[in-house]
Amino acid sequence: MGREWFKGLVKAFYIAKKDAKVYYFKAPNFTYGLLIPISLFLAFAMAGQMNPKLIVPGLVSLMLLFGTTSIEAVAVVLEKQTGTFDRLLAAPVSYFILVVGKTLAGFFFGLILAAVVLFPLAAVSGTMVLNPFLALIAIAITSLAFSALGVLVSAYAKWVPEAQMLSNFLRFPMVFLSGTFTALEALPSQLQVVARVLPFTYSVEALRSSIAQPAVTYTYILDIVALTLFAIVMLALSTKILEKRVT
Amino acid sequence: MNLDSDGEIFGFLGPNGAGKTTTLRLLTGLTKPTSGSAKVAGHDILAESVKVRECVGVVHEVSNIYDEMSAWDNLIFASQLYGVPKDQREKKAKELMKLFGLHERCKDRVGTYSRGMKRRITIAAALIHEPGILFLDEPTTGLDVQSSRMIRNLVKELDKNGSTVFLTTHYIEEADQLCQRVAIISQGRIVTVDSPEKLKVSVEKHQIIEVSFSQVEDLERRLTDLNYVNKITQVGDKFRLHVENTSEAIPLLVDFARENGLKIMSINTLKPSLEDAFVEITGIAAEAMATEKEQTKKGGNLG
Repeated sequence: MGREWFKGLVKAFYIAKKDAKVYYFKAPNFTYGLLIPISLFLAFAMAGQMNPKLIVPGLVSLMLLFGTTSIEAVAVVLEKQTGTFDRLLAAPVSYFILVVGKTLAGFFFGLILAAVVLFPLAAVSGTMVLNPFLALIAIAITSLAFSALGVLVSAYAKWVPEAQMLSNFLRFPMVFLSGTFTALEALPSQLQVVARVLPFTYSVEALRSSIAQPAVTYTYILDIVALTLFAIVMLALSTKILEKRVT
Repeated sequence: MNLDSDGEIFGFLGPNGAGKTTTLRLLTGLTKPTSGSAKVAGHDILAESVKVRECVGVVHEVSNIYDEMSAWDNLIFASQLYGVPKDQREKKAKELMKLFGLHERCKDRVGTYSRGMKRRITIAAALIHEPGILFLDEPTTGLDVQSSRMIRNLVKELDKNGSTVFLTTHYIEEADQLCQRVAIISQGRIVTVDSPEKLKVSVEKHQIIEVSFSQVEDLERRLTDLNYVNKITQVGDKFRLHVENTSEAIPLLVDFARENGLKIMSINTLKPSLEDAFVEITGIAAEAMATEKEQTKKGGNLG
């Protein structure tokens, strides 16, 4: 059983590696993964005199959300459109492993985007990341959770623009309701309740905590647990939906 | 639907929408059945879906390989998915590249390949794990003569090696050339399963003699008057005579030629083709079936 799981995970990595080769450089990833988050950042953050400790986690989370969901929209939906997804479905790979493989492709894409954004932004803004290890964990869990969300959304879509549109229904409200560019406490109390339901809130909060605090905080642990649970639920739902939609 | 196939090329013939591809998808675990059961290579398609997929190779109707990757990378990826041991992957890929005549362009992106080359690499990818059963969905539709011939020869080779090939096709002649047995499917039900030759015999109502004489003028009327000829059709300079019994009719036909001062240039007995059998069994014109497919896949050729 353990050996079968290991073999399955290895195959998931092969699927992710293939996705990196085939889909990382597709145009929608640059439009949705880089341009839109940067535009939002410039529009809402740079206009105000904001604290870099708020800006950096906000932008990194933003890139992770848009980048990972975009790559999944391409890597899942484009495969369905071209028929190559049938090739994966016909292979001796379970639906869950297939979902894990697709999620891993988004996960690594998210890590690359975060590195591209975090280091230059931290250097330019003079932000010190007080606990890089905790920041890395927060980035990794965020990337995994949003990639799994991307797979779930893409499992429903037939066309790439449809997947991007469905993702936008989730992405934009999350960005504006999760205290991306403002402290959560500054939001009206009703919106603070809404923000607590959104995974994006926990991503921003965990990153802020790792940048501002050298030690693990109670809030940070809760944030990581919430994101992990979200990722697990997304993986399970994606597997179910994919199975249902495909067959 | 009851099917049992082992170590043969088994053809699945039927018009569009008859259920050929659906059957193939059911047997390869791509579609879940609403009822019924099936075993492939001894494994239940529902309970042991992954095991089934380990034992079979599937070539879909569309050449679904990654255009962005080279043929070589496509084969290596397929070998990884199918769990081919690491030390055998490159060896297997090289063998298949040579077998399919693609080794010289194996590092080129598949997006630069012709339709025939893409089809070949798709089939090669399905064979990377040496499956005992190969499912081929319309393997030669839309291909040039050379590629079609190459693929048919490869299918024959697979058969010689003891593999089972499950072939869906709308090219009746292809099924006739390749298959040991053919199932004719219509509206989701198998109408008949038999060898092409037996299917032809089963629809043989009249025996046909095809004959040509040294002179053609005014012959049709005189031949129609012969009491042992039921029906006559002219095909070019030949006449097809539908008779009850060819062995009785041929000597009478020789007498007719002698009496009329004619020389017999050629004489053959004809049997119904598989196409005749298909038309008789399904009531669907074979040309209509081929035309439907060709509308979506231009450039088809049966070489």
